[in-house]
Amino acid sequence: MNKLLLVIERDVRLFFQYKFLIIMRVIWFISQIALFGLIASRMIKIPEVDYFKYYVAGLSVMTLYSAAIFIGFDIYEDAEHGVFEYLLSLPVSRRQLVLGRSIGGGLRAFIYVGPLIAVSLYVIGSVEPVSFLISLLALFLFAFGVSGMSITFAVLIKSSDRFDILMGVLDALIVRLSTAMYPLAVVQASNPTYGTIASFNPVTFASDLFRWGANVDAPVLNNPLNPLLGIIAFFAFFTFVGVIIYDRRIEGGGWQ
Amino acid sequence: MIKNIVHVLEHDFRNFFRYRWWLVGLISMNLADLFIMAVVYNNMLAPKISKEITSYFNFFAPGLAVTGLFASAFMIGREINMERRREVHHYMLSIPMTRMELAIGRVLSGGLRGMVYMSPLLLTCFLFLGFPSVPQFFIILGVLFLLAVGISGLSIAIAVSTSSLEIFITARGLVYYTLFFCSSVFYPLSLIQELGQEGKFPVILVKFAETNPLSSASDMVRSFLLPGYPAFSYLSIASVVIFSLFFTLLASLAYIKVLER
Repeated sequence: MNKLLLVIERDVRLFFQYKFLIIMRVIWFISQIALFGLIASRMIKIPEVDYFKYYVAGLSVMTLYSAAIFIGFDIYEDAEHGVFEYLLSLPVSRRQLVLGRSIGGGLRAFIYVGPLIAVSLYVIGSVEPVSFLISLLALFLFAFGVSGMSITFAVLIKSSDRFDILMGVLDALIVRLSTAMYPLAVVQASNPTYGTIASFNPVTFASDLFRWGANVDAPVLNNPLNPLLGIIAFFAFFTFVGVIIYDRRIEGGGWQ
Repeated sequence: MIKNIVHVLEHDFRNFFRYRWWLVGLISMNLADLFIMAVVYNNMLAPKISKEITSYFNFFAPGLAVTGLFASAFMIGREINMERRREVHHYMLSIPMTRMELAIGRVLSGGLRGMVYMSPLLLTCFLFLGFPSVPQFFIILGVLFLLAVGISGLSIAIAVSTSSLEIFITARGLVYYTLFFCSSVFYPLSLIQELGQEGKFPVILVKFAETNPLSSASDMVRSFLLPGYPAFSYLSIASVVIFSLFFTLLASLAYIKVLER
């Protein structure tokens, strides 16, 4: 357990060295709220939905997603600078190393997004304490799942450039084909295929649960258990698959 | 002089196409904005806006071409910032050409790379909105080229005045978001003006949005392609011309100064 904590601590420390990335993301977040969110909410009209609050809630999930993805880039950095060999020489089991990196990736994203979520809640106004805690737990699992996904792709793709492109395209598709920016009914009405993809998208699950927890006027979430189960399945799949693949790849210089 | 500038262009274009997969990825992200986000936004427009712009997809398509132009023309700044940090400019100074040729070549190549990157996005826009007449087409190309050169100049000016990549990236972020979100790229200018009149948006940002060259370029393309959109006037592109001239000059002088430091 102690060793696992050390791996997590290393990844959290590593993230906060990327000061420029943090500043950039904060600028992006604030300008999205103060400029895009404010102006776009004048352009959009959805019955019984305050689009500004709806968008701000979705924005927190989008930011969490992009921060959790970043762990994959650290894996390339480690491989490029020979840190991988050092990590393997440590008295930490492979499982602890892999699990620690996955948890560390999610945790640091959550620490980073925490103050931004606080800003969102201030803008949104009201919170339902119990449901908010459940939604927070769901966001935790979502962040771990995304970082597990990022690790899985990073160890499967050996070129950092290809990884960068894949993550960019995936980001564009996974965020846009979700309810982060618009309600599911509108996505479905626009294009049924988009609607089907959005219904099974983990970003949709996280956004819907966060809005439910933050008490945002949004299309009623009939059963919060469904998105919660969806996030648990996403988290379990990528943490499990990520651990197995990473475990296999790091033996015998498989990352090179 | 022209021959030397062509050499600089060739050098920068080779660098640009080294990242071709990255460019393909970037274009697909832009297209995702158009074919997913804009399509869904079409169904959420407020009735008043719906009357004004009819379709968000059609409204956004020209804005997207300008967005792509901006992002790719700005890339030259990152390369120049890296050259500065790695002191590659010593090598640049050893090349048998004048400082001015080198500086103009860099600004021009940044702009031309922006035009090359933007062309599939502009073509997509024409395919869905209809093709402009031949004179309109040349006006569009001319204005967008001026804009691209201005953006390239702006990015070079930032790149040479920032000593670290972190500061450059932060400054780039600030410029990106202010120029994009305070413009008519994503939404009609009337919305920003309305917020300004209600006192919910700073007047200075409203004025900025009105004179923003990205607004002028997007609205110019719309005026040619969207029926019912306010007609094009040469006066409306004055901001693009001034922006381009100012930053081309500023970037060239700043680049020469940094080279000789």
